[in-house]
Amino acid sequence: MEVWFQKFKSEFILNFIDDNRWEWIVQGLKNTLIITFFATLIGIAIGVVIAIIRSTYDKNYDTMKKNKGISFYLLSFFNFICKIYLTVIRGTPVVVQLLIMYFIILASSNSELFIAILAFGINSGAYVAEIFRSGIMSIDKGQFEAGRSLGFNYIQTMIYVVVPQMFKIVLPTLCNEFIVLLKETSIAGYVGIVDLTKAGDLIRGRTFSAFMPLIAVAIIYLAIVMLFTWLVGKLERRLRNSDH
Amino acid sequence: MITNETLIKVEALQKSFGKIEVLKGIDTEIKKGEVVCIIGPSGSGKSTFLRCLNLLEEPTGGKIIFDGAEITDPKTNINLHRQKMGMVFQQFNLFPHMTVLKNMTISPIKVLGLSKTEAEERAMKLLERVGLADRANSYPSQLSGGQKQRVAIVRALCMQPEVMLFDEPTSALDPEMVGEVLEVMKSLAHEGMTMAVVTHEMGFAREVADRVFFIDEGIIMEEGNPQELFTNPKSPRLQDFLSKVI
Repeated sequence: MEVWFQKFKSEFILNFIDDNRWEWIVQGLKNTLIITFFATLIGIAIGVVIAIIRSTYDKNYDTMKKNKGISFYLLSFFNFICKIYLTVIRGTPVVVQLLIMYFIILASSNSELFIAILAFGINSGAYVAEIFRSGIMSIDKGQFEAGRSLGFNYIQTMIYVVVPQMFKIVLPTLCNEFIVLLKETSIAGYVGIVDLTKAGDLIRGRTFSAFMPLIAVAIIYLAIVMLFTWLVGKLERRLRNSDH
Repeated sequence: MITNETLIKVEALQKSFGKIEVLKGIDTEIKKGEVVCIIGPSGSGKSTFLRCLNLLEEPTGGKIIFDGAEITDPKTNINLHRQKMGMVFQQFNLFPHMTVLKNMTISPIKVLGLSKTEAEERAMKLLERVGLADRANSYPSQLSGGQKQRVAIVRALCMQPEVMLFDEPTSALDPEMVGEVLEVMKSLAHEGMTMAVVTHEMGFAREVADRVFFIDEGIIMEEGNPQELFTNPKSPRLQDFLSKVI
């Protein structure tokens, strides 16, 4: 036991204390959190817009087709664009999307962090859009009708009546998507970003001792996910206040 | 209470869902201050007729003129007219994520541009009237069915509409709660509100309505004042219907 503890201690010092290697972990964690946070915001923004376009198209297809107004053609066009986006983004691996963003689309940019945020945000948006759409479609038709009968236009009905209820319904699935995104950012090392995973791997490369840094990284991811799950759980309970 | 001023005029109204023709041409008018009850067997098109009046269902033919404006014209801004037509649904359709007070004030604030205090004052007066002032901060899920429907009625009234449309307002209620909702509707009728009520409550129709429509097979098969229609039905369809429900 004594021997084991001594070994643990020397390994710990080698991997984290010597040459201030712990700073890599901190820096990596910071980058991971920055990318995840802003990519989530972008994902939610894209998701809401696409979900509203797609569900509006699905719900009003029959009546609008008959009238053949300008709004029908406009909506059909946007719906088509959304479908292409969903197909391409969901049909290709996120690593490939990140590399394309880095080496082709934004090759002139020198902010890796910005590129990563954009790539992960756009990727996440596709999944969030479908989560939101299923939420919108699950809301009772009567809620739309009540909104419209009170004089709201379509957009107001969405904003005040439908979207708030949708968020509550999709919260657990949205939480899941956030967890997936957090862990997906571990590929950011591909474009030269020192994120949490890359930091652990860099330490391993220096010290030739794999156990300590990699397990530490794994534990940090786990801790973030557990903390976040706990927070969402609290939020869910608060939102449930309205349905006793 | 009935005036001579026509509030809603319906001309040759038709509505089909795909190949199924639900309304086959309805012509009628509703005067300001008039209470019209619409009765008929299920599937006859009476709810569809009511929902066409504020264009929740888009008619496939005919015209509806409300307050001098042809609302079936695609160029009309229907949102402006819906503000003046309150609607009460069978399933209440209260917004579950808002308190009773918020349910009532959101639309006067966002659509009519009232201040929060003005809207809340208006809402509280209405809530007091239906005996629910103490539930202002409750959520719909904390209310009984009858309370929910009373809130739904005052929510619509909070917009100060010119006509109230009721789509089977008591059909989803437990029997002992029907009375409290009908009471509210009765007092509304006595105040001179223009009302169109789709209902299975024949007692209510007989007592409160100025005119009763019997809709069957997509047309108004018979109409008249309630005494005449209930005691002396002319068409065999209505005789048959009344013998089953009364």
